[in-house]
Amino acid sequence: MKRIFIVSLLSLFYFIPKSSAFCGFYVAKAGSELFNNRSQVVFVRDGNRSVITMSNDYQGDVSEFAMVVPVPTVLSREEIRIAKQGLFDKLDHYSGPRLVEYYDHNPCEPQILYEVAATMEGSNRKFRSTKTLERDKEDYQVTVEATYAVGEYDILILSAKESDGLKRWLTDNGYKIPAKAERVLEPYIKSNMKFFVVKVNTKVMKMQGFQNLRPLQISFESDRFMLPIRLGMANSKGTQDMIVYTLTRNGRVESSNYRTVQIPSNRDIPTFIKGGKFEQFYVDLFDKAYRDAGKNAVFTEYAWDVSPNYGGVKCDPCVGPPPIVSDLLDAGVWWIDERSYSQVFFTRLHVRYSEEKFPEDLFFIQTSDKERFQGRYVMRHAATGDLSCDEGKKYVQELEMRRGKELKELAALTDWNVAKYTRYRQDGSGWIDEKLEMDKSDSPGKTGKGAAPGMLLLLGGIFLFLFLNYIRDLRQIANGNR
Amino acid sequence: MQLKLITQNVFRLLKGLTDPRYFQILFLSSFLAFGVFSLGWSVQLQNYLLIITTCLTVQALAIYYLDLPLHSLRSALITSLGLCLLFKAGEPAYFILAGLLAIGSKFVLRFRNKHIFNPANFGVVAPILLTGNTWISPGQWGSTPLLLFFFGGAGLMILFRISRLETGLTFLITYAILWFSRDVIYLGWEPTVTLHKLTNGSLLLFSFFMITDPMTIPNNKKVRIIWSACIAILTFWVVSTQYIQSAALWILFLGAPIVPLLDLLFPAKKYQWSVPENTSNSISENLKTQLA
Repeated sequence: MKRIFIVSLLSLFYFIPKSSAFCGFYVAKAGSELFNNRSQVVFVRDGNRSVITMSNDYQGDVSEFAMVVPVPTVLSREEIRIAKQGLFDKLDHYSGPRLVEYYDHNPCEPQILYEVAATMEGSNRKFRSTKTLERDKEDYQVTVEATYAVGEYDILILSAKESDGLKRWLTDNGYKIPAKAERVLEPYIKSNMKFFVVKVNTKVMKMQGFQNLRPLQISFESDRFMLPIRLGMANSKGTQDMIVYTLTRNGRVESSNYRTVQIPSNRDIPTFIKGGKFEQFYVDLFDKAYRDAGKNAVFTEYAWDVSPNYGGVKCDPCVGPPPIVSDLLDAGVWWIDERSYSQVFFTRLHVRYSEEKFPEDLFFIQTSDKERFQGRYVMRHAATGDLSCDEGKKYVQELEMRRGKELKELAALTDWNVAKYTRYRQDGSGWIDEKLEMDKSDSPGKTGKGAAPGMLLLLGGIFLFLFLNYIRDLRQIANGNR
Repeated sequence: MQLKLITQNVFRLLKGLTDPRYFQILFLSSFLAFGVFSLGWSVQLQNYLLIITTCLTVQALAIYYLDLPLHSLRSALITSLGLCLLFKAGEPAYFILAGLLAIGSKFVLRFRNKHIFNPANFGVVAPILLTGNTWISPGQWGSTPLLLFFFGGAGLMILFRISRLETGLTFLITYAILWFSRDVIYLGWEPTVTLHKLTNGSLLLFSFFMITDPMTIPNNKKVRIIWSACIAILTFWVVSTQYIQSAALWILFLGAPIVPLLDLLFPAKKYQWSVPENTSNSISENLKTQLA
């Protein structure tokens, strides 16, 4: 038994490729579609060039759909294109948080290997309505810099002299501008930003036979590695979730003006968190992490080298297929081709922003960090069969302790009332005793940090250094007085 | 009688703490602990150890060969803690490199008995220029007014003791005025936007603990004020036009070679760490006196 356990633990800390090294695995995912009020963006950036793809998973009447995005330059027709419908799903499935299941080997039986893999499809997309558009123009000190028809979209690029004029222009042209928008428009106008205004041409859409709006992709040169989140906040009082998939050349992307935190990962969780419960688990885990980080952090959910010729594994385990060259090209990665040895690094950032906690637009920097990261949660299933041998009895004891730890971990990660799971320690079931109240002893503490003792030792060393120096100074004083 | 004895002894004990570097070490290590335990930085314990060991070893060698006072180890520890807080890299070798460059720069890049670069600043910036594989995380502290109290409180105490209060405050106030004028007065953002920028932990740490290093800034007080205002103006200019959030570190790095020139033109007394008199003697002298 011991050997098996060590092997599965090892596979936790080192990224062993999918093989029979551990006793079977199972995969499920918590995709971004779980979060309401969410938007998704693919941000490709290298040097001063940005390619931004926006997912328009808008569910309402498309004739009502409109969107205003501040952009740094007047985009040419070639700089606007439509990306493939499946791009976001592919990136989302590939990089979403994952559940890994291991099956304990019965210590009283010879070892058999299992391998199960499956994915779960998400459902129910929700998107907040943005603004609405119609037609016409007058003199509002607003210049229509360009108009384009791109696929099912009619696009205008506006520049304005002052926010009041722009607001009137938009309102008179049938856009429903949120009351708060005006004072947010002003800073963008003064920063020399243009406005990329999109509405849907329903005739073209009917002709092309598309059911959903396809992702819109824009590219431009700008010093700003930034997403203008402040304008979107004018819409709502609450929070909005945004998933940003970045593709860069050198390494991981992080925010440069907000804290970037890794989502808790590689944690052992109870085996009853299956099916739809895993999704709920991740939603609650994110919510807790978000609150613990002061509601103003950006979370890294995934970071991996996805270079086309990268030799290592591209995920461990894979929930969805890793992006291939055609996906990267579709996302707008311009520095690769089928044969070249070009580098591409993928980062998935999840940010829940609100007007109060995110007063500034979201700026990013690319680091040289190539370390892999993924949101990964581990489930260990108990061995089955006759466990009456000596090893087996010991195993059962260890199992109960392990399950206790898993419950504590669950509470620490999600704030769930784990005291209700009265039977889990004994039989591994997710049966809930609804009558029980939260047991204080099981109340979540800080999630465990392995390096805490080492860090304390380090600090201890520094204090010892200070103390010895202090004693030395005192002696020097005494000597000096003599 | 007894009371007098106690106060005398307490006074004697406190006298052992005249060196402001004690407090610098104490504060910097508590910031590191705050980052690791409270902000959940991914802990790189072995890397911290590498930095500290490298810095202290290089300094110890310098003490031995260049006959420097033993208490200069404190400065090396401060530098290494600064590096732990700022320097990011993937491979352990880079942490050794940063330590070597930081302390090494103190002994190699000198002018008129004063080192040119702030060692921690040099240790962070030089590896980026040399290898391109290391980086800075300007957002790692986040932005909260709490940090202003936390860093500001500790910083003011140190600055007061080393009488460099004017340098840190000039930088911060100039920077604040510039951002407020741009964001709030000109662009029309809400004041919280400026507050968010000014309560950024990296910026506060820079203004209270890096730009105020008495060894690498002008000796003359008036020049220091003008100089730190210039750093603030340039930083503002780079951040607002080039959007490089870590600009302050780069400007300080690029501006460092001007400092010896300023010292030449506007001479003033060089800063000395206040250590109990006897300690300022070198080891060999100590040995000599002991042998005698």
